[in-house]
Formats: sequence, structure tokens, C-alpha cells
Amino acid sequence: MTELLQTLALGLLLGGVYALAASGLTLIFGVMKVINIAHGAFVILAAFITYWVWEAFGIDPLLGIFITTPIVFALGWLTYKVVVSPIRTAPMASTVLLTFGLALVLEGAMGEIWGNNSTAIRPSYVDQSFLVGGVFLPKAQVYGGLIAIVVLGLLWLVLTKSWLGRAIRAAASNPASAELVGIKVAAVAALVFALGIAAAGAAGAITGVLYPFVPGSHYTWIARLLAIVVLGGLGSLNGAVLGAVLFGLAETFTATYWSPAWATAVPYAIVFAVLLVRPQGLMGTRLREDAVAT
Amino acid sequence: MSHSLSRRGAALAMTGVLAATLAACGSGGDSGGSDSDDPIRIGSSLPLTGEFSQPGKAANEGYEVWVEMVNEAGGLLDREVELIVKDDASNQNTIVADYNALISQDRVDLLLGTFSSLLNLPASAVAEKNQMLYVEPAGGSPELFSRGFEYLFFAQQSTADRQGLLFAEYIAGLPEAERPKTAAYPTLDDPFAMPVVEGMREILEEAGIETVYSETYAIDTKNFDSLVSSMRSADPDMVVHGAQFEDGIGMTRAMLKADFTPDVLFQTNAPSFRQQYEESVGAENTEGVTFGVSHSPEADSPGNQEFVDKYEEMFGTREVPEDAADGYAAGQVLQAAVEAVGSIDDQTALADWLRENEVETILGDLSWNDDGSPTGDFLIGQWQDGVPEIVLPEDVATAEIKLGWQPGGAG
Repeated sequence: MTELLQTLALGLLLGGVYALAASGLTLIFGVMKVINIAHGAFVILAAFITYWVWEAFGIDPLLGIFITTPIVFALGWLTYKVVVSPIRTAPMASTVLLTFGLALVLEGAMGEIWGNNSTAIRPSYVDQSFLVGGVFLPKAQVYGGLIAIVVLGLLWLVLTKSWLGRAIRAAASNPASAELVGIKVAAVAALVFALGIAAAGAAGAITGVLYPFVPGSHYTWIARLLAIVVLGGLGSLNGAVLGAVLFGLAETFTATYWSPAWATAVPYAIVFAVLLVRPQGLMGTRLREDAVAT
Repeated sequence: MSHSLSRRGAALAMTGVLAATLAACGSGGDSGGSDSDDPIRIGSSLPLTGEFSQPGKAANEGYEVWVEMVNEAGGLLDREVELIVKDDASNQNTIVADYNALISQDRVDLLLGTFSSLLNLPASAVAEKNQMLYVEPAGGSPELFSRGFEYLFFAQQSTADRQGLLFAEYIAGLPEAERPKTAAYPTLDDPFAMPVVEGMREILEEAGIETVYSETYAIDTKNFDSLVSSMRSADPDMVVHGAQFEDGIGMTRAMLKADFTPDVLFQTNAPSFRQQYEESVGAENTEGVTFGVSHSPEADSPGNQEFVDKYEEMFGTREVPEDAADGYAAGQVLQAAVEAVGSIDDQTALADWLRENEVETILGDLSWNDDGSPTGDFLIGQWQDGVPEIVLPEDVATAEIKLGWQPGGAG
């Protein structure tokens, strides 16, 4: 029973961090139909910025989120204006290639600035755990999970309860009509891209504390994040959270009850299986053109 | 905020997954000749980016130090040496393209190998097909030497299956009361890490040490908490971990988080990264961690101090990464063969010479079996009081071996 609870707890904590990282990716797709392959690179970039803030100023890396996230938000906005905006209306395949190129550029830049050596952020609590009824809960992961919940909650509130959220949803569902009622779709798109990157930034600060990283670590992240948002339903924030939690649980349960050798493969098998039954993902919806396509 | 997913969108997203696994190809270059006054062009492709970028970069530093020292001493066969290094981005497909390009486009005169068994497996096949000598600085998987290759030589003391041999024999030889009773063997699914663990397991099981956990994990594993949780349930006295760098750090940190500190911890690779290892797991957690290692900056092997001096001059530290030393040693092996044969035209003669002779390197004297595998013993290192010492074999040891991992003990 303890083993089951332990596996469940570790899976949920892992899923929480995945959810935060994936939320920005699905948000950007939801509004702009841009699949941002550079998302994983922004996660790692935020981890490096967090490392720099921690090293240079001695600021706790998780509290450093208040510094890291605005920096990454600004970088996201700049990236959108300079790189993404000119081809926003181009076919989706073009944006996939463009953002893949951007990921490579970011990897190279990180290598130049911070080097290709493995980097680890070690606050005082990094190797400590809470022990609850025989179940260990790594402190850094618990703090990271709580931050993920708060940030995701705020994101959800902004999207569902604010004027900005209504503008974003309007721009996503019908850009032309949104323009007619005075919403500046281009400005909304820039803001959403920056918000999405900022969410990746918050996730990067947390993952930087949890795992060592090199500039090339972004390949592993983007593969996982894309699978998570496809599983949840591209463009659906709730779906991304659900997909992330399922992904985390699949990893930990496979490692514990089958074999660690399959822990990173089984979640992808689940994604394939779900897509066979629900091509739109768990919480995605189908439009008429999808039905026509089948 | 629920939106639609078209089939095209899903297909593109999955294309993205595939695209993310592709790596940039190396660039082509000009063709070169082999006139006697021209520089001797030596080609290699290393993982300068991607998952293996850390050791790849270190190996490149070792090559650069070797080239610098050779040129300062008048070159190779009185010709300047020029190094051409491509970046394979830790990708098995890219490395094949890179070595093909080095041979057919750049027309290099000689080759040096890459880092890791995973990448040397395909790269050495390209060299063999083109009948070019291939001295590799890393790549100790026995699989590499089971293919009947004639041009492949490994410039370290022993293949992976023998790299933990001395420590396993030491443990097996302990009095029964001091010997661990149970052991766990987690290992990365990697052609280098797995044979090290298997080689040690064979000896330890023969000594009556019961295996209570044995699992492999995939290269993209980031989270080790579940694995450690299972391993902790099995309660082994000793853990033998087959790792590269990042996973070695991840596993150790997960063990600390789970308050799982077995009496003995042996780990491949990661603990040999000296300062970086110390910074990653915390100096206070290194005490007693044991590892296999090919080189020590403090060793009094011929030329070692000159190498360390030059490394410090070029890269600003005497903390020489093991992979840099291995890269330098690979250069020394290549140099010895070329100078002894007196020509670079007949690569078969270079390979034949290496099979029949011993080469003096900073790692000690190296010699090879017919299949290119080395015949020596690997060193065993151990962290003691915040310093990585050599503890086995006794004749080159810098400190006496101590039993026990004591995280929190080194301060």
C-alpha cells in the first residue's frame, strides 16, 4: 500500500511540473495555431537564468521565479515580434520548421554563454524530503508542485474571468470577428506568446532545481511536452493539465510496477492509443472541417 | 479554453516530435592533398552539443592540447598537424555522415575517434570500410571489438566489462563479516555502462552477494525517484550504478532525497568529473563514492605533468577532465604509430604496428589484443575528504581504499 501511495505521489508531483511547462505550449497553439518547437529550449533557458540569479545574487531559485519569469516573458514577446509574427499566418509546417530552427539557435546561444557542461542548482533543501506515513515527498518537488498549481490557477483565472481572457478566447475562435469588435488580434497574439513562454519560464526555474541540465536537454523536454498537449487536446489548457498528470503517473507506475527501461516509452504508447480512439485528444473538440476530413 | 484539433494539427505536432530528435548536420569542407609539405589533416567528429556535449567538449580539449604540443615539438613527421572537428550533436546518424564527409570531402589524412560507445559503434564502421586507422578515446563496450575490425583501437586501459574488475575483486575478497550481503544493479541502457555493471555483477554473485535489484533505464530518463523508491524497498547493502554523467547525478540526488544511503556506492563515469560532480551532488555527499577511472592529473606517468601544465595554460585549470586526458592519449597512440612506421600512406601498417607494440601514454603503457581491445587494468578511484583519489591497483594508488559511502561526511 505504501508503495502504491509513493508511486502515486511521485507521479502527481512529476505531472504538476509537466503541466506547467505544457500549459504555455497549448496556449500558444490554441490562439495562434503555432506549434512552438522552441518551447523546450525556453524551459532550459529559464533554468539557466535561474542558475545565474541564484549564483550571482544568492536568491533562492524558486523565489527567483519572480525575476526569471518577467525576463522570459520579455524574451517571449521579443521573439514573437522579431521571429514569429512575420510568418504567423503561414502554413503550420512553416512555423514548425521556424521554431525548430529557433530551438537550435537558443541551444547554441546557451552553449556560448553558459557552456555545455552539466549545470545543477542546489538550494539547501534540494536533497531533503518530507516523510508522511512512510511516503517520502521531495521538498523541491513539493514546492515546485505548489508553484505549478498557483501559476496554473492564475492562468486559468486570467483566461476565464478577465477581459483579457475573453479577448484571447475571441481572438482564438474567430480572429476576424474579434477585430470587428475592437480586439487587436496581433497584440493579443504577442501577449499570448509571451505568456506561454513565461509559463515555460516558471517551469524551467522549477526543473532547474529538480534535474541537472545542459543546453541540449531541450530535446527531451519538447518531445514530452508535445506528446502531453496532443494527449490532452491541442489548445486545451485543461487537457494539457490532464495529459501532464497522466503522463507523470504513467512514467512512475511503469518504473515501479514494470521496468524503468519502459518508463519513458509507455506514456508515448498511451498517447498513440488515445489518438486512435480520440484523434482530437482527451479534451480537444472536433470542428466541422475535421468531420469533413474523415 | 478548449479548442479544436484537426488531424493535420496532430500530424504536425508528431512531426515536431520527430523533428526535435533530428540534429544538425556537420558542414562540408575543402578537399586536401597529402603532399609532404602540407599539414597532416586529422579528422574527428565529437558530440559538442546534445546529451553527450560535456564529455565531447572535454575530448576536444584533449585533442587540442595534443595538437598544440605536437606542433610545438616540430609536428608529426616534420609536418604541421591540423585538426578538423565536426559536431555530431550526440546523434548516431549525424556521426556517420560526419565521418563520411571527413574522408570523402575533407580528405583528411588520419582519423581520431569520438566519445561514447554509442557513437563509436557506427563511426568506427565508417573508418573500417575505408580502411583507415581509428583510435578512439572512449568507447569501451565489448560489442565494439566483437566485429572483427582491423583498424579500431581503444586508447584506454581496458574494455568496459573489466573497468570495475579490481573493485569487484576487492569486495569479493573481503572477510565475510565485512562483505556486503546484497547488491542492486541499476544501469543506463548504454553499450558502455551495461558491460561494466555486468562484469562486476558476475564477480560479486560468485562471491555470494545476492542480487536484489537489477534494472536498466532509457537514456532520456530524467526522474529517478520511482526507480530509487523501488530500489530502496529491496534494501541492498551495495549499489553498482552504470551511468554517464547527468543520470549519475540524477540517481545520486534521488537516493539522497529518499534517504537511501547504502553502505557501498560504485558508479561509472559521473564521479570522475571531479569539480563538476562535486558541485552537482554537493561536496558533503561525495565521501566514499567509488568509481572506475582512466586518468589522474596527479599520476606520475611519463608526460602527464607536461600535459596537465599545457592544459592549464590553454584552459585555465589543472582540474583536467578524464575525457580530455583520454583524448590526449588517443593522440599519443596515433602519433606513436605514425612515427614508428614513418609514413601515413599505409594505414594497414599503422594498425599492424599497434597490434604488435606497446605505447607509452599519460594513462600508462597501452597494448592491444588482435581485435583492438586493450590489455591493461582500469584504475579505481574513490572520493575521500573532498578529493578524488586513486585507490586501486595498489602500486599506483594515491590513498588507501575505505569501505562505505558516507553522505554528509566530507564537509
